[in-house]
Amino acid sequence: MKVITFIAGLCLVFLFVWERVDIVRLGYHVERLKTQKVLLERERDQLQVKFSTLTAPERIAKVATDKLGLVPPQQGQVFIVHPQPVVPVLATPPVEQVRIARSMPIGRGDK
Amino acid sequence: MGPSRSRRYLLLLLLLGGFGIILFRLVTLQVLQAAELTARADRQHQKSVTLEGARGTVTDRHGKVLAMNMEVPSIFGVPTSLDSPTSAARSLSPVLRIRRDEIEKKLRQDKHFVWLARKVEPEQGQRLEQLSIDGIGMVMEGRRFYPKGPLLAHVLGFVGMDGLGLEGLERRYELQLHGEKRVTILQRDALGRTVFPKGLREQVPAAGHALTLTIDEVIQYIAEKELEEAVNNTHAKAGAIIVMEPQTGAILAMAVSPRFDPNTVAALTADRWRNRALTDTYEPGSTMKVVVAAAALEEKVMMPGSMVFGENGRMTIANTTIHDHEKMGWMTFAQMIQKSSNIGAAKTGMLLGEQRMYRYLQAFGFGQRTEVDLPGEVGGLLKSPREWGRRSLASISMGQEVGVTPLQMVSAVSAIANDGVLMKPYVVSEVRDQKGQSLKNILPHVRRRVVSPDTARTLTTILEGVVTNGTGMKAAIAGYRVAGKTGTAQKVDPRTGTYSSTLSVGSFVGFVPADAPRLAMIVVIDEPQGEAWGGVVAAPVFRRVGEQVLTYLGVSRDDQVKIAMAAR
Repeated sequence: MKVITFIAGLCLVFLFVWERVDIVRLGYHVERLKTQKVLLERERDQLQVKFSTLTAPERIAKVATDKLGLVPPQQGQVFIVHPQPVVPVLATPPVEQVRIARSMPIGRGDK
Repeated sequence: MGPSRSRRYLLLLLLLGGFGIILFRLVTLQVLQAAELTARADRQHQKSVTLEGARGTVTDRHGKVLAMNMEVPSIFGVPTSLDSPTSAARSLSPVLRIRRDEIEKKLRQDKHFVWLARKVEPEQGQRLEQLSIDGIGMVMEGRRFYPKGPLLAHVLGFVGMDGLGLEGLERRYELQLHGEKRVTILQRDALGRTVFPKGLREQVPAAGHALTLTIDEVIQYIAEKELEEAVNNTHAKAGAIIVMEPQTGAILAMAVSPRFDPNTVAALTADRWRNRALTDTYEPGSTMKVVVAAAALEEKVMMPGSMVFGENGRMTIANTTIHDHEKMGWMTFAQMIQKSSNIGAAKTGMLLGEQRMYRYLQAFGFGQRTEVDLPGEVGGLLKSPREWGRRSLASISMGQEVGVTPLQMVSAVSAIANDGVLMKPYVVSEVRDQKGQSLKNILPHVRRRVVSPDTARTLTTILEGVVTNGTGMKAAIAGYRVAGKTGTAQKVDPRTGTYSSTLSVGSFVGFVPADAPRLAMIVVIDEPQGEAWGGVVAAPVFRRVGEQVLTYLGVSRDDQVKIAMAAR
């Protein structure tokens, strides 16, 4: 009986020690994951800033005019068509606005 | 007592002595020095860090990011751990882009810690890591980025090095935007690694709230581009454009020239980042005739067809002579507004009388803040009738002796576009938490009705005439009905204290399409050189901005509507 009690006690001590060691190990693991998360979040933010910078209207306009040779449409070149739904449908689709440039500058339209 | 017994006693004594020493030491360590040793152990094993949640993001009405936080490296030195400050400074100088002698001076200080460069670019941090210099370290700090550069800078404002909002929305919404600050104690092991991160959820401080603006990034860009071009072409000192939704008071664009980049404000002065659209007052000149006309029509002092004599361009009031820009005889009230007759406006003002004039000026929001959600707004200058002189009524009718901000003026004209209802202008439409959940929706706020819908519509027709036949013809947008009013006001010369013959403010305020307004807009050009008439310097800017924005918003042209209707 004494031997069994001793072994059970020893097992409890080992269990306690193992639990403590495992907590430390998991703690390190959590810390590593946390660091990884921070790095990924940092990268996400950097990409977001880069994306926002690249999509700035000023930059897009500069690229469109300087690099691609585009020009703003002149008066009368933009038509806005509001299509009406011809066949009644169950759910009313959103009215989309389609813009058509009537006269494209010669030599650029087909590219 | 034998020798063996005495040896046993001796052994016992030694053991007791030994245990006594151990006990004494234990008592010393565990009881007497307990507090001091515990503190020392804590210092070695615990790390106290202040964690700060990221500052909230600011986006336009379509979710485009206008301001956000990003973690970037800050570089510090530990002079006491450096072998050679000279060699460290030589290596750091090209990376940090700071002069070598400046860095060396900092590194030679008798300190344990010095900042070398704060919130630098991530690439600089990476290069520094590669150098791996003993005694030079790096910590990550949150830095505010404005990815669109100067776009909307005067509205957004900026933050200081400590992350506090100093100007614009950053300042006005500091409480909402700043992240939560929390001091956390972390356990660390012998290698300095953090262990046992207890209560992880609680340790992460909450990020600041995000703001969604009423501003449309594209409309803002159009306004800024056209304003910059106009200010450059006219060699003006400054300028402002405000584009507003008349029915709600939501501001779609607020452009101010000269511009600045909020990412690099350190070298700039307050004069550059001041939001002139709501901090600077000017005498509005003839744009004030819109308010005078609204009051006269509402009070039935005048009808569109009422005849007014223009005194052939010259009239004396209280020993001063007022002039019109052209000689005018008899004209209708509508023509008087369209041709912007000062004499006609003065006569209308006198028919209204001081009290009624003052009441309408107040009702339209002059002399008080619009309460827009931006800092630094001024209420303008509107004296009480008790302080008015003999000429004041005539002067105010012509837009003199009264100081307004561009925001006040566009709000007042928006009320005409909105069937006579004055709205409170606003810039922030929603506040959201870090998870994207809406905390507050800012809804349009009606301030008051200023004139009846009939008066507003009658005046709109008159203001359309300003653009079709009057002084504002250059504001006409092909295919759309535009209503508006030009204004040219002389500025007071600070040296002489009298009206200057060379310094003036040219402006145009109006709305489009006149029959179903989508935009109300004001263009103000401050001190243009050469021809300074509002109809010449500001009206064309209104047209250029208006036609681009209407196309962008997909507002059909009148002629296209007619073609479409005929085709059915």
